[in-house]
Amino acid sequence: MLELRGLTKRFGATTALDGLSLTVRPGEVCGFVGQNGAGKTTAMRLVLGVLEPDAGEVCWQGAPVDALVRRRTGYMPEERGLYPKMRVGDQLRYLGRLHGLTGERVSQSTTQLLADLQIQAREGDVLESLSLGNQQRVQLAAALVHDPELLVLDEPFSGLDPVGVEVLAAALRARVDRGVPVLFSSHQLELVERLCDTVAIVRTGRVVAAGTVDELRGGGRARRLRVRVEGGAPRWPSGVRDLGDGLLELADHVDDQAVLDAARLAGPVREFTPVRPTLTDLFREVVAA
Amino acid sequence: MSSPSSLVRLIARRELVERGRDRSFLVSTVITLLVVVGLAVVPQLVGGGPDRFDVGVTPAAGVDADALRAGGRALDLRVDVRETDPAAAQRQVRDGDLDAALLAPGQVVVDRELDPVLRAVLEQVDGAARGQARLAAAGLDPAAVSTALAVPPLQVQAQEPRSEAATTREGIARVGTFVLYFQLIGYGFWVALGVVEEKSSRVVEVLLATVPARTLLAGKVLGIGLLGLLQLVLIAVVGLVAATASGAVELGASAAYPIALVLGWFVLGFAFYATAMAGMAARVSRQEDLQNVTGPFTLLLVLSFFGSLYATSNPDSLVTRVLSVAPPFSALVNPPRMAIGDAALWEVGLAVLLMLAAVCGLVVVAGRLYEGSVLRTGSKVGLRDAWRAGAR
Repeated sequence: MLELRGLTKRFGATTALDGLSLTVRPGEVCGFVGQNGAGKTTAMRLVLGVLEPDAGEVCWQGAPVDALVRRRTGYMPEERGLYPKMRVGDQLRYLGRLHGLTGERVSQSTTQLLADLQIQAREGDVLESLSLGNQQRVQLAAALVHDPELLVLDEPFSGLDPVGVEVLAAALRARVDRGVPVLFSSHQLELVERLCDTVAIVRTGRVVAAGTVDELRGGGRARRLRVRVEGGAPRWPSGVRDLGDGLLELADHVDDQAVLDAARLAGPVREFTPVRPTLTDLFREVVAA
Repeated sequence: MSSPSSLVRLIARRELVERGRDRSFLVSTVITLLVVVGLAVVPQLVGGGPDRFDVGVTPAAGVDADALRAGGRALDLRVDVRETDPAAAQRQVRDGDLDAALLAPGQVVVDRELDPVLRAVLEQVDGAARGQARLAAAGLDPAAVSTALAVPPLQVQAQEPRSEAATTREGIARVGTFVLYFQLIGYGFWVALGVVEEKSSRVVEVLLATVPARTLLAGKVLGIGLLGLLQLVLIAVVGLVAATASGAVELGASAAYPIALVLGWFVLGFAFYATAMAGMAARVSRQEDLQNVTGPFTLLLVLSFFGSLYATSNPDSLVTRVLSVAPPFSALVNPPRMAIGDAALWEVGLAVLLMLAAVCGLVVVAGRLYEGSVLRTGSKVGLRDAWRAGAR
């Protein structure tokens, strides 16, 4: 289990993180979302020890993260970075060795990963000769080559085509199924909704909402319905607020069947759908709040 | 497997292998080798052996061919003498078959100008011939005149004769210092370039997530330094073989001493400049800004190089003595001072100690600057900022 406890980080006069706390359990994919500058990248850098926190700590299995844990962590920084003029295979083997892999295991792991990510044909090519999408695959391979126990990925899917997203997601899924916790940040909220078990929304250096997407949806939120009726305007029961454009918001005590009855009285009902807020809706609400 | 030394080894090996395989490295190695072979061989081909002249002599000139050849030998010239007649001589001189032709007593013809050394030979031989002719005309016995004029050559007594070994030492020290300068400036800058490359490609963040900053720096300096040392050894071997083959130097202790000096001072000098340049380079994110921050150290190197040039011609002056022990000038001034000058062995010991102390101090300072700035991409990180940020 990965725990970020009350992390605070200042850069001069700016406070990048202001007591940020977050937990990622084994085998759980946590989507880390927030506007640019909210503190996602700083938090991830603190996890990897690339930066030191001013206050708070990062714990792995209950103990503060040290160099040994970090060597068993897979990291994909926001700013992509590998040696442009180094061959793909050499590069992955080198990073694998830096993370403590030895001998046969480095080669096996490299070969396997390149196959999983469908770039095995490029093993002998220098990185800069690959397309950006393929470079991104190599970057993920660099984060996975030492078979990490924990994955921290900053915007792993940005700039990828749908096929690339599927290939990367499958590679990640395989790790998660083995119990590896994954923390990844993204601006692609549909993707987060689809891939993540939990979501943490961060604003100005704090987590302002966290939980499963369903949990975020529930929690005192008013139900909404989309209703389309041909003909006249229905008389809605009390407690129903018409938000316009066929969208209704129901107070807690309102029975949705009573709403349907009212609609049918007015004319033939062509649409009657409960509306569940998407992560994008939730995000907008939370960030705007 | 996770010990710092094994990490340093891994990083150093990557630098060595990746750079060793770089095309520009291979090209520059070949060019350097060609230059060194050229320096070793060309003087022997061009300046080696006596200069050779073809001189025509007409019967009217009255000059003895043997006397002419002997006169040339005395001045380290090889003079080939040919009998000719005035008309043919004019033509042969114009066509370049002859360098000069004596037509008559006191009369020589050349195409454009007379080589000054050949002129001395011709004047002496012609003068002797005319003098003999006049004395004979005055009724003296030519044989007696010859005997009277044949004085033994000047006896030279050198107080400190210049040995073959000293010449070899000096020659190697001159070329060696020259190569050392380019090696230090080239490889020092290469380290700086490597630091910026890792910073601008952002790979440094991936690396620092698993390797401490100073370990990364140490591995880089070590790997590139080792490559530089290997290249220097290659240059020394090839240069020596070429110089020996062409007869410029003789292998032996007198050749080994200056080479050992150059190799040893490469190690120390590189440690100094590479560390300094890495610390400075970490402050910028683009190659274009590199000259700006490494400039002071490049300037130090250039000044040291001028110091070494001065030292080769003034190996025992006070300035040379001071510069040859004062870091970082000693890296380039100590080898010529020790190899050419009248230096005691303790001087090199003192120079090494002082340089080691300087390197140790620099490792602390540059390591901290590196740590404090290598992750901060964007505009140049100020020295004070980098120093403060590296304090953690």
